[in-house]
Amino acid sequence: MSVSAMEAKNSVLVIGGGIAGMQASLDLADRGMRVYLVENTPSIGGRMAQLDKTFPTMDCSICILAPKMIECFRHPNITLLTYSEVQEVSGSTGNFTVKILKKPRFINEEKCTGCGVCAQHCPVEIPNEFDMGIGVRKAIYVPFPQAVPLKYTIDEEHCLKCRLCQRVCQAEAVDLNQKPEVVHLNVGAIVVATGFELLDVQGRSEYGYGKYQNVLISLEFERLICASGPTGGHLLRLSDGRIPKRIAFIQCVGSRSLKGGVSFCSSACCMYATKEAILIREHEPECEVYIFYNELKVFGKGFQDFVTRAQNHWGVKYVRALPGEVVEDSKTSDLTLWYEDTRENVTKSIKVDIVVLCPALVPRAASKDVSAILGLELDEHGFFKPKDTLFAPVDTNVPGVFICGYCQSPKDIPESVAQASAAAARAAEVIALSASKEVH
Amino acid sequence: MATEPKIVAFLCNWCAYAGADLAGVSRISYPPNVRAIRVMCSGRVDPAFVLRAFETGADGVFVGACHPGDCHYISGNLKAEKRMENTKKLLKLLGLGPERLRLEWISASEGAKFAQVIRDFTADLSKMEPNPLKVKGNPKAPDAPINTKKVISEAMRKTNVQYCLECGKCTGSCPISKVNNAYSPRRIVERFLLGFEDRMLSGTDLWTCLSCFLCSERCPSDVRFPEFVMACRRVASPEVMEELCAHRGISMALSRMMTNPKIRQDRMGWLPEGAEISKRGDLLYFVGCLPYLDVFFEDFNLQLSKIPQSVVKTLNKVGIKPAILSNEKCCGHDLLWTGDLENFERLAKINVADFKETGANRIVTACPECYRTLKKDYAELVGNFDFEVLHLSELLSELVDKGELKFDSELGTKVVYHDPCRLGRHMGVYEPPRKVIASIPGIELVEMGRNRENAICCGVSSWLSCNKHSKAVQIDRLREVKATRADLLVTTCPKCQIHWKCVTSEKLPVSPEEVTMEMRDLSVLVAEAMHLA
Repeated sequence: MSVSAMEAKNSVLVIGGGIAGMQASLDLADRGMRVYLVENTPSIGGRMAQLDKTFPTMDCSICILAPKMIECFRHPNITLLTYSEVQEVSGSTGNFTVKILKKPRFINEEKCTGCGVCAQHCPVEIPNEFDMGIGVRKAIYVPFPQAVPLKYTIDEEHCLKCRLCQRVCQAEAVDLNQKPEVVHLNVGAIVVATGFELLDVQGRSEYGYGKYQNVLISLEFERLICASGPTGGHLLRLSDGRIPKRIAFIQCVGSRSLKGGVSFCSSACCMYATKEAILIREHEPECEVYIFYNELKVFGKGFQDFVTRAQNHWGVKYVRALPGEVVEDSKTSDLTLWYEDTRENVTKSIKVDIVVLCPALVPRAASKDVSAILGLELDEHGFFKPKDTLFAPVDTNVPGVFICGYCQSPKDIPESVAQASAAAARAAEVIALSASKEVH
Repeated sequence: MATEPKIVAFLCNWCAYAGADLAGVSRISYPPNVRAIRVMCSGRVDPAFVLRAFETGADGVFVGACHPGDCHYISGNLKAEKRMENTKKLLKLLGLGPERLRLEWISASEGAKFAQVIRDFTADLSKMEPNPLKVKGNPKAPDAPINTKKVISEAMRKTNVQYCLECGKCTGSCPISKVNNAYSPRRIVERFLLGFEDRMLSGTDLWTCLSCFLCSERCPSDVRFPEFVMACRRVASPEVMEELCAHRGISMALSRMMTNPKIRQDRMGWLPEGAEISKRGDLLYFVGCLPYLDVFFEDFNLQLSKIPQSVVKTLNKVGIKPAILSNEKCCGHDLLWTGDLENFERLAKINVADFKETGANRIVTACPECYRTLKKDYAELVGNFDFEVLHLSELLSELVDKGELKFDSELGTKVVYHDPCRLGRHMGVYEPPRKVIASIPGIELVEMGRNRENAICCGVSSWLSCNKHSKAVQIDRLREVKATRADLLVTTCPKCQIHWKCVTSEKLPVSPEEVTMEMRDLSVLVAEAMHLA
């Protein structure tokens, strides 16, 4: 066997550059495997990069994530393929052939220093996806300051082709003639970690998301309260820039629902709502916070203590009720929630400044494409089906292809990381086995 | 010939009853056909009493009142006179004939007059056929005893009640719960699940539900609460229902009487001159109870007969000659929602047989209640219901698409549309009425904050539980209507119009300008825009 063939057999493709994909990549790379980490967006980091803090330790999310991102970037055994998509996969365990499309950044990655002068001059401003559309970005952009790789990308859809960026770039990195590039790889195993997205709650018209400016979804709120977010971490109402005096969270919007949503529990919402509630109390001690829930799912280590601390120390108010509707006062943009306090058996209403909806977290729509490319089975909700839920949770119906993170089932960050390590271990095992077969 | 007609006589305590007494002590003989019921004032006699008498077999009803000016309660007798005139119109519609109801002024000293009046009335009734609508036994009692436990457990299963998560989203949505803290759909479900059904069945809560489906629309567990309530009402205490029924259940009495095969209604008086209708045809127009409502609520001057008139004129204009049943029976909506499944099924069977006779394959209705009942409940409860049921707005919107509706006037008004619960949330028809309104030149269609699936009920359904809470819901909705600054409120349900007209005719807790509004049924608006009205 040639050296390149040997190396190919020693390689793993990781699909998805979120925390699970990164963890699996680092584990494998540390073991001496060659890792190709494919990420659809211009930067790795995933959902965790968007979070302000993590529960229950209240760590700064990006502060613990950024070193891992850099490690992925610097690791000699990891090749980052950002802004790329897996297009075709053939072969079988121990010997997969993969075709990857590298979308054109219109920037020479070798030359770009990430100085950002181009973005300062770019005249186009569009809603920033990373800030959930609350802030703006330019047509030439990095998704967020800690992006890895710190290379700019031109958004072809919105670019005016004015070439201002090209004129100001001292590194001469702008290349508007860049074409999509196809990369062929030979790998022994594949780890899939495509993550989640938030359920579209526009259809839940009773809560007025999309209609009322002060009704937000949780990830929008996370950006709003984050120091690197569009308001620099100042907690403001979007309608009038006023500091809110009362905020309500509504749990289970579309989750645990037999109609018009998903039937499973997203497993992270009760905890992140508690975290966000504490953040509000830290930022604005005058601001009251109500969490409307049906059942509090606080099952993890230290979770109950976290909620108790939120209640007793931070004064977060938990109300066992799912509000029926949110009504906006068209003059003041204040919001009134109607609910039945199911402990007191009384119908009540409460006026708040901001409503934060916690929508169901669902597998990414793109996981359907991945399943088609790899031949992976999906369950009724769009999660990748493990080979055996109990004893082979990261194995799939395709030998040599492993799954981890939220795309496998609902879970939080520590669980995703643990599962990523498991998937990495299983991938390494498969490679070791196929190598030993070759030798004998 | 009714050789021995039965007469129920409602006699005022202060005059006619004493008059009858005088006739007795004066030994003036009069036919023994009369059964006297003493009331404190003739004004107490409700049209529902009269209908109840006929339903249970009376051949004639007599009301004896004080002479004008003599009433102990100032004007009760005059009110009685007005009411009985109105009731006579209902009897005419029913085909019983107005002459079976008689009101006379009889003072306490007019014993001879009382005897003479009864003699004349008995003689007149003897010349007529016996009351054809006489019902054997108790018309409200079901044919066979109902197994309460079975009905409830089946209803629980069918309506997903067991999936309730007790989140209270239903109560947080319920328009009644917002004004009545004691009412909670969640707690009703909870009590049934805990086995306290006896208490629930004998209480008032089951009759409070508006069946507006707002709770059900939003329930994450897909519990269909209104349907559960509908099923439970079948085995709930009818006495409580009667107490809570608006207009003393006259709507249900009329519907029950229509189950009698001998009924020959005289209900086509609304038909405009020159209108073309047929006995047979592809398209049947189901008019509904509009002729009755127009009479019963004539004080409101809503001119509800304009609705069928507009429908027929509009259909004629586009070359459709609809089939109409001249002896059309009630669809049975109110019976179904008040738990009288037996009589509902009877009506449904009679109606379906009549539909088949017309040879129609499409049925159009302008009333959302008829629409739901025919399209959903008939199809579920009556086998072989192979008709396509359309709401008028759906038919009109089809005609708009084909370019067949030609509007030749620019009305130049701002219109707000209210979604009736039964058309909207029950049946999912939100867009056709809007499309029709928007297609009229010069009309600006505006929306209330709570529209489509979030629309609020007009406050009363199935003539149940009309009280301060429903009034509060109505006023709340009308203020929302006013807030749109529209000139005209358009809806497709005549009941919505009746309920709003009623609440604004009473003493209001807010200034009248905040709630009074010009209203129009969609069909009438369309006919006006086509210069047909």
